[in-house]
Amino acid sequence: MPKIVKVNKMELMAPAGSYEALAAAVKAGANSVYFGVEQLNMRTKSTHNFTMEDLPEIARVCKENGLKSYLTLNTIVYDHDVSLMKRILDETKASGITAVIASDHAVMNYAKKIGVTVHISTQANITNIDTVEFYSAYADVMVMARELSLLQVEAINKEIARREVTGPSGKLVRTEVFGHGALCMAVSGKCYLSLHSHFSSANRGACVQNCRKPYVVMDKDEGTQFEIDNEYIMSAADLCTIDFLDKVIAAGVSVLKIEGRGRAADYVFTTTQCYREAIDAYYDGNFSSEKVADWKDRLSTVFNRGFWDGYYLGRKMGEWSDEPGSKATKRKVYIGKGMKYYENAGIGEFLIEAQNVKVGDELIITGPTTGVVELHLGSLRVDDEPAEGAKRGATITFPVNEKIRPSDKLYKLVPVE
Amino acid sequence: MIRVVQHRHKCIGCNACVEADKYRWRISKKDGKSTLIGGVEKKGWFSVLVDNDEQAALEAAKQHCPVNIIRYEQLD
Repeated sequence: MPKIVKVNKMELMAPAGSYEALAAAVKAGANSVYFGVEQLNMRTKSTHNFTMEDLPEIARVCKENGLKSYLTLNTIVYDHDVSLMKRILDETKASGITAVIASDHAVMNYAKKIGVTVHISTQANITNIDTVEFYSAYADVMVMARELSLLQVEAINKEIARREVTGPSGKLVRTEVFGHGALCMAVSGKCYLSLHSHFSSANRGACVQNCRKPYVVMDKDEGTQFEIDNEYIMSAADLCTIDFLDKVIAAGVSVLKIEGRGRAADYVFTTTQCYREAIDAYYDGNFSSEKVADWKDRLSTVFNRGFWDGYYLGRKMGEWSDEPGSKATKRKVYIGKGMKYYENAGIGEFLIEAQNVKVGDELIITGPTTGVVELHLGSLRVDDEPAEGAKRGATITFPVNEKIRPSDKLYKLVPVE
Repeated sequence: MIRVVQHRHKCIGCNACVEADKYRWRISKKDGKSTLIGGVEKKGWFSVLVDNDEQAALEAAKQHCPVNIIRYEQLD
């Protein structure tokens, strides 16, 4: 009899900065999502932030779709924040959120007291097995520092098994790594630049992204300035691990996190879908370079600052972006809003509020319940008559193979010039 | 007199205004955001009239606020 080995697939964790992104993550096949509420998370300034009142609904959506839900509560916490921190954790427990991602010891301590499962944030900068052992009194899952190589991550995982380092659940501690998305110049995100220039602390989730700007160097003796072109010297390119995901899994990583709570639903959909396919392909034994090329093409269509492999393959120096913003090969242009869905016929009705639309366009529909629907416009009707195109003000209908809603927005995908 | 205005719901609770003048600003234990002491709310904006001698502290609070939600104007 062959020995049956139960394979636990690596968990894919997607960002959910809004209900649209949450629905997109569900649809694209994430195993879990992470999100923030109120101001004690690393995207405090994001306009999409949820509030405590959203916790039961987020938990419901996740439970219904078989996803785990993780609340990020990972800023520096001062005395004046403790009362709010405790309220958030109490609500987290009451709402049935799976776990809290923490970096401040006060958060870990209170969560443990009231029985909320803790994950250790990358902000805690875990770089060795002894630190894993230390935090194992509080947490079952720990995010490794982004600056570790895969060899170092693998060594930590082996030691967790050898030393039998278990978390509060009694199971071996699981490790998580960042798999895709923005990196920053600071070690584990501990950056002072934003506070220095704008009194806006990155460690309180209020980073103003100084590192993404172009700079000049100046000869102080003569005042001669040199523009540093070609490279934004502090702006790290985006992490992408999809072409060596087999190595990430082989290193014993249990959870792969996609960065991007500030990103739109289409970003979450595309990145999550690509990594879902890649993880499945690995376990199905058909992970190939052809597939990697296709995934990288698709990943490059959404927001990115150019890709590099981070520090995982042993690089000591970072790779920097050469653009001020995104290098995405496509961008979405707002067309209009959803009006009605004719269930029996599978037809969606939309009001065009901006731009034109024509047969052959690549469209994308996003909404808080719909998530993301991508489609190629094969035909359309204006005022119930077949048409080749339509202009602003027209009400159009076309086949959509899933329900759309009045809260949905319609976009056209166009190549970036 | 000076009219101070704060767009409170955008506060991220950084405490910078309290550091500037702990007699005018206080962090709420309920929601962790800064409260303008003496302020009256109207459509999400809190405002209060204060003496001119608070101007320097108000300026510091305004300058240090990372989300730019503190404003003031001289009335006389």
